[in-house]
Amino acid sequence: MINAVRAESLKMRTMPGIWVCFGLALPLTVLFILILFARAGGFAGHTFYFAHTLNQQRLLLGAGFFGITFLAPVAGVVCITSEYRQKTITNTLLYTPVRSRVLGAKTIVTSYWAVLMALLSLVIVLAVGLPWNAALGGSATSVTDQAGAVIPGLVVASILLGLFGLGFGVLVKNQVAGILITIGGTFILEPILVAVAHSVFHYNLNWLPSRAVVALVGAIGSTGFGGGGGGGVNEPLLTWWQGGLAMLGWGLIPLTIGYFTTFRRDVT
Amino acid sequence: MSGSPAPRGLPIEISGLTKHFGSVVAVDDLGFSVEPGRVTGFLGPNGSGKTTTLRMLLGLVAPNAGRATVGGQLYRELPHPSGTVGAVLEATSFHPSRRARTHLRMVARAGGHDEVRADVVLDLVGLTADAKRKVGGFSMGMRQRLELASAMIGDPDVLILDEPSNGLDPQGIAWLRDFMRYLAGEGRTILVSSHLLAEMAQTIDDAVIISRGKLKAQGSLESITAGMAQLTMHVRTPEADRLGNVLASANIRFRRLAHDLVAVDGVTPEQLGPLLASNQIVLYELTAQGADLESIFLELTSGLGFGAPGEPS
Repeated sequence: MINAVRAESLKMRTMPGIWVCFGLALPLTVLFILILFARAGGFAGHTFYFAHTLNQQRLLLGAGFFGITFLAPVAGVVCITSEYRQKTITNTLLYTPVRSRVLGAKTIVTSYWAVLMALLSLVIVLAVGLPWNAALGGSATSVTDQAGAVIPGLVVASILLGLFGLGFGVLVKNQVAGILITIGGTFILEPILVAVAHSVFHYNLNWLPSRAVVALVGAIGSTGFGGGGGGGVNEPLLTWWQGGLAMLGWGLIPLTIGYFTTFRRDVT
Repeated sequence: MSGSPAPRGLPIEISGLTKHFGSVVAVDDLGFSVEPGRVTGFLGPNGSGKTTTLRMLLGLVAPNAGRATVGGQLYRELPHPSGTVGAVLEATSFHPSRRARTHLRMVARAGGHDEVRADVVLDLVGLTADAKRKVGGFSMGMRQRLELASAMIGDPDVLILDEPSNGLDPQGIAWLRDFMRYLAGEGRTILVSSHLLAEMAQTIDDAVIISRGKLKAQGSLESITAGMAQLTMHVRTPEADRLGNVLASANIRFRRLAHDLVAVDGVTPEQLGPLLASNQIVLYELTAQGADLESIFLELTSGLGFGAPGEPS
């Protein structure tokens, strides 16, 4: 297993798609910081204003979540589907013939890269967000004091979002389909489903991915997945641990189904 | 090679191997064995089931029935798969933006081998100068060499090659031939599939010939060619129909190859000549078939097969 993880780690590191995801985390985090300061301002001649409420301070520290909500699933999708897209799956299974081991290694490596993505976003907040906040008159410590409330949720959510992408990638094998299902499904289909379920059946689809992950991360959730509102429905979300479990299910269920169906198929 | 224990060949055993793709039978109750220390050619026309058989042996395709083992074990159950078996299956199994050396380091990691092996095998296949180039810019021949380098990363006891000379220039093909012979000389097991029969005839010790997923012949090249040489005479005559009747009544096996050409099996010119003379059959040509690999291959895989005695097939 260690050999497979080491090989997959090098494989991910030499995959351009992963670096594109990683690179996009930077401008998206900066963009969110800019939006945050703009929304905090807008009064008494202030175009931008520092993060002065508790919610804004947490949002600033978790600014990276905005990009991670779709970059981590894409990284997960790319991790597995590039094997089929580039036809490298034959070599992968030749050198690691136990398929569950390959999938286990990919799960670990996807999680590792999702954590790196979360850490990168924090570095960007420290390098750009906090100095900018200070320049606008805010205090750095008021933001960093929120680390305990923000960082664990951000890191765990990043991992689960990566697994969400990996799971659907294993299930469908096709890169475009995998990205469409995870990102398109979550950003476009899910709000419609949530709104219809709420208005027609008076049922709250809290366990769908976007609302589950927003429940997990708490306050910073409003930065990602369309604000987690899902079709403008403002019903209470799941608790953080219920959200985490639901999100884990959104990763593990397609991963398991994919393993027993597509991933174990003949490689011809 | 250097620093590694001496390679030991392991036998490959295929028994009762069967694979269906829907209603298509790709491999049908196939059985043969490959011995260490010899280069064994795995021959068959396109679509005869060669690649499917090799992929079943390597655990990439699940058989419907039968077993394919290396040293008595299934490939996926080998404790060190890439240290035991090296395989060249397709020259497209690379990420185009990955550098050659990085690809090999990755393969070394997956097999638990020292990453230094990447440079050793690059040198072995003559790609050291291209180690830092991206594989996307490689020619087909260079990719084939890289695939071979990947297969050699674990200094394996068994080498399985599927059409390895595809894309290689004549120099590369000659190099590959010497390379396979060298490895077999060290005691390793070499199983190589190819459709380049003239090339194979210069390389292989043993041959396994399949057609439509079934075994047609197996043995040393000498035994196959010797056996076939005694068996077939080609008779060109304007009286092919009457010849058929004569052969059928003499209980001699034959096949009609063309309107004026009949292949007669299991007789020598000394036996067939007097029979034709006594029946006053006009002859344009009577030839004993040469025992080259290509003619044997065509005989065995033409789809005509061997008819029962006296039965035109």
